[in-house]
Amino acid sequence: MSQATATRTLTFSQAIREALREEMERDDRVFVWGEDVAVYGGIYGATAGLLEQFGPGRVIDTPISETMIVGAAVGAAITGLRPVAELQSSGYFGIAMDEIYHKAARWRYMHGGVFTVPLVIRLPEGAKGAGPEHDVSPEALFLSASGAYVVIPSDPADALGLMKSSIRDDNPVLFFEHAGLYAHRGEVPAGDHLVPLGEAAVKREGSDVTVIAWSRMVGESLRAAAQLEAEGIDVEVVDPRGLRPLDLDTILESVAKTGRVVIAHEAPKTGGAGGEVAAIIAEEALEYLESPIIRVASADVPIPQSRYLQQFLIPTAASVTEAVRRLD
Amino acid sequence: MTAITPATLLELYESMVTMKLWDQTALRLLQEGRVLAGYHSGRGQEAIPAGGVAPLRRDDYLMYAHRGFGYTIAKGMSLAAMFGDLMANTAGATGGLGAGIPHFADPELGILGQGGTLGSCFGIATGAAFSARYRGTDQVVVCFFGDGTANRGAFHESVNAAAAWKLPVVWICENNGYAVSVPAADSTAGRIVDRAAGYGMPGVRINGMDVTEVYRATCEAVDRARAGEGPTLIEAMCHRFRGHYEGDPQVYRTEEETERLLALDPITNLAARLVADGIATEEGLDELEARVQDTIDRAVEEASSAPMPGPERLFEGLYV
Ligand SMILES: Cc1ncc(C[n+]2csc(CCOP(=O)(O)OP(=O)(O)O)c2C)c(N)n1
Ligand SMILES: [Mg+2]
Repeated sequence: MSQATATRTLTFSQAIREALREEMERDDRVFVWGEDVAVYGGIYGATAGLLEQFGPGRVIDTPISETMIVGAAVGAAITGLRPVAELQSSGYFGIAMDEIYHKAARWRYMHGGVFTVPLVIRLPEGAKGAGPEHDVSPEALFLSASGAYVVIPSDPADALGLMKSSIRDDNPVLFFEHAGLYAHRGEVPAGDHLVPLGEAAVKREGSDVTVIAWSRMVGESLRAAAQLEAEGIDVEVVDPRGLRPLDLDTILESVAKTGRVVIAHEAPKTGGAGGEVAAIIAEEALEYLESPIIRVASADVPIPQSRYLQQFLIPTAASVTEAVRRLD
Repeated sequence: MTAITPATLLELYESMVTMKLWDQTALRLLQEGRVLAGYHSGRGQEAIPAGGVAPLRRDDYLMYAHRGFGYTIAKGMSLAAMFGDLMANTAGATGGLGAGIPHFADPELGILGQGGTLGSCFGIATGAAFSARYRGTDQVVVCFFGDGTANRGAFHESVNAAAAWKLPVVWICENNGYAVSVPAADSTAGRIVDRAAGYGMPGVRINGMDVTEVYRATCEAVDRARAGEGPTLIEAMCHRFRGHYEGDPQVYRTEEETERLLALDPITNLAARLVADGIATEEGLDELEARVQDTIDRAVEEASSAPMPGPERLFEGLYV
């Protein structure tokens, strides 16, 4: 059993790549396409080495054609393949929105369930200093895209395990990867490491406050929790690891235990998914709340390219500690 | 040039007659209030789905358009299932989700469905063609779209990729001169067929009111695609006899214009040719028409007896 307990250290980007490699080895129907994914290995290195191992038939550089990248991936998925399509930035969602929202998510349903759409769309997101169109975290836009899963890992182990599960799942998956996390290192279980979709992770147990966070904000919240521990506040950090399927049980169990909730995400507060999570808690668990829910998020402005200005906008561990201290 | 046998001509004729009688029946159901949403008649354009689908194998892929139900009739979709969808009941291929704009599919017949947002056919067609080659099959994709749809940006992205990768797609543009009310002349620069040259693929403009021209051009394009020689663009010039949808006041064209079109009817013209060439007799064609009408009536009857779906239908088939 040493296999199951052994770990390896990988960056987030390497974890994505390992997941792709393992699933491509396992299943001939899996292929990867997007801009610069082949020879160049992806602008974040997440597909490096795949061309050499699997050849140009399965690792494909596409034209700069996001509509086609997603639309054709849907066409491939409904005819027996399992595409992993990369948009170079999730900021290009609008160019492929019809293909994501109406085609990937709805093709199966609207045609009476005669197809499956086993498709993963990789969407790098988050602040990185590339300007207001590139640095977005648009996951909440897809809350109403019923039919598609929304998966968001926060560390290398989850990136690997969630990507492998997403590729094996027969539903379309929008897979958000925070660009600021790609270089982060972490321990990843060796062997066939699968993380089920729709299962939240309690990243830190605590009894006083529940911080619900995803993507980069999980790490920030864990740092905040360590700091608050010194002040005698015991914080639980719950990472839903995605928005659909949403693991309500784990979230509500934590809320029932702590009675206090902070929701942290990098997207702007208005229209961010924190609003939806807060509404669900209000509907399902109001009686447990001892204090109003606080959302930690970016302000409702476009993200400037300047990293200098970004420091005043993008939430950090300090934003989370400040919010927790404000709770009654 | 591909020779068309008398037997094939008769099959193409029967296919078009089925489309015409289907259309008549759909209009009757619409008048009777049994169709719950809009319907875009394909009357006048039957030669294109008939001639464009006949060259396909059962396992070839079809991306169809909204103009009538001819494409899927030609590909062998169950008539009763299509009527069920038209009436939005559980006999429909979608089990009750359907209505006037078809969104049904049949993977066994290579029918890949239709998007309601025009132009989404392009990407899916390119992807299905990629998939055919990836899996090592020699399947071909035929993608139908209107002249108006050809102005979507998705056309460029998908047609470019399919041409760059020499994928087995036949792009068939049905140029009926209008997108709802807007004449192609006011909205479309150059000739659609000339775009083929820009993508380095063959392009042909044909008379889409003549099923033999459509059939021949498609056969050649399908052969090329199957042989690994890449895509072709066919621009089939045609006329839509009725409004864009039923109830369209057609303020954008005169009654004289629509009346003049009737002389171009692809079905009556082929019938005259079949009789003149001694391939069929008028009585024979009448019998054929009666037989097809009978088949359609039975399909309507079969579909009519099915119940409407219950509210639970809303929640079925969204996730696997
Ligand atoms: C993206 C998109 N824009 C607009 C519409 C509304 N619409 C439906 S059919 C149509 C006209 C299409 O014209 P054309 O492609 O020439 O086909 P035709 O109706 O003439 O057969 C329009 C504008 C739509 N369904 N999708
Ligand atoms: Mg038109």
